[in-house]
Amino acid sequence: MQEIARGITEAIKMLLSFDPEIYEIVGLSLRVSLTSVIISTCLGIPIGVIIGLYNFPGKRILIRLIYTLMSLPPVIAGLVVFLFIMRKGPLGFLGLSFTPTAMIIAQVCLVTPIIIGLTYNIVKEKADRVRRLALTLGAGRREAVKLLIFELRVGLLAAIVTGFGRAISEVGAVMLVGGNIVGKTRVMTTYIAQLQRMGNYDRAIAVGIVLLLIAFTINAILYNIQEKNG
Amino acid sequence: MQVKLEGVKKIYGSRTVLDLEELIVEEGCLFGIIGPNGAGKSTLLNIMAGIDAQTEGKVYYGTDRTEITPYRDITLVFQSPYLLRTTVEKNIAYPLKLRGWQENMLRERVEELMEDLDLTRLRKQKAWTLSSGEMQKVALARALSFRPKLLLLDEPTANIDPATTGEIERMLKKINEQEGTTVVIITHNLSQAKRICGNTAMLHKGRLVETGPAALMLKDPENPLTKAFIDGELLS
Repeated sequence: MQEIARGITEAIKMLLSFDPEIYEIVGLSLRVSLTSVIISTCLGIPIGVIIGLYNFPGKRILIRLIYTLMSLPPVIAGLVVFLFIMRKGPLGFLGLSFTPTAMIIAQVCLVTPIIIGLTYNIVKEKADRVRRLALTLGAGRREAVKLLIFELRVGLLAAIVTGFGRAISEVGAVMLVGGNIVGKTRVMTTYIAQLQRMGNYDRAIAVGIVLLLIAFTINAILYNIQEKNG
Repeated sequence: MQVKLEGVKKIYGSRTVLDLEELIVEEGCLFGIIGPNGAGKSTLLNIMAGIDAQTEGKVYYGTDRTEITPYRDITLVFQSPYLLRTTVEKNIAYPLKLRGWQENMLRERVEELMEDLDLTRLRKQKAWTLSSGEMQKVALARALSFRPKLLLLDEPTANIDPATTGEIERMLKKINEQEGTTVVIITHNLSQAKRICGNTAMLHKGRLVETGPAALMLKDPENPLTKAFIDGELLS
């Protein structure tokens, strides 16, 4: 318990002291997580909508695969990405090993299936009613899809919030592909893991509290938008 | 708009849910469809609206007998209406925006409908906060906004109080008489059919049992199935 109390004090000190190292780590964490969530959203929502709206051969297998990938262990995602981008890997010539870009790729692999799966479920549940309504009001195919996305916006936002939660709290994949290099690829979660290994529990808890505060703030903003839209 | 169905069948697997030799809804009439649950009434309406395809047969619209569903001139109000997740007035305005109406004309039309259906005080209210009667009125106002030539209604007053039912009935009569809109309404309420419908069709097990003027048919039915239905003795 003493560590937790000291951790809280440390967290306040850390934030008020404007420790550049911490702000750099926080900045990188946000940059990596937000970028990966934006990319995953751009990929995941259209794919989820298409799978939800249309029937095609292999759809059932694809859905099962997506559900499996939704709970993909981060270390596996990290390992696969690492094997692709390591110097001797098929994409080694791109020089992405131990860079923030590699961390973003790993997080995109983790977050995209979540957004696809949640979008698919929302679309499957509501698409038929919205499609029928759109037809009865004289909407064309494109207008019907636009209406569907408008109608599903609250659920889609929830999918994005869930994806962000996965990205910001992830440690295994970013550790494997990023390497927790000071000033280059160190993010809050990998830093916490390192502090714990070093026995620096106060600072580990302090960084954990900062991470929670950031996650809370971003979720609060998104939740607020959700509330306004019903 | 006249609608004519010829040899229309709807088959799900091995089950025929609709099997009509011929049904004509004349232009400008207020046409009622009655029948027990599972008679194929909603299927018929969905086919007329073009949102479900018939398995066999043809549906012709208008006097030029086109087979292409004129989506922009037809609308259907569902029993459980789906309202867009926005305000009442934006729901009503949606079909007009789709049709590119000018803002001032759009506003005028929305105002007129809100006034007619006593929705003005609810204009800014979010659709999901409305009662079922209010929701149905918004769905009706939205359906009427673009002045459809054919209005289809699937039990629009089921689970709605008598006052709201009266408002909806008056509105249907008004647009039918003043604007010449063809209205087809499914109802389980036989008094309602008598009050507002000109002609009525009785369906049973997907087949057309009897058709004729509502007042006459409901008072003195020719077919024993219709009589049994009116007397509450016909099971689906």
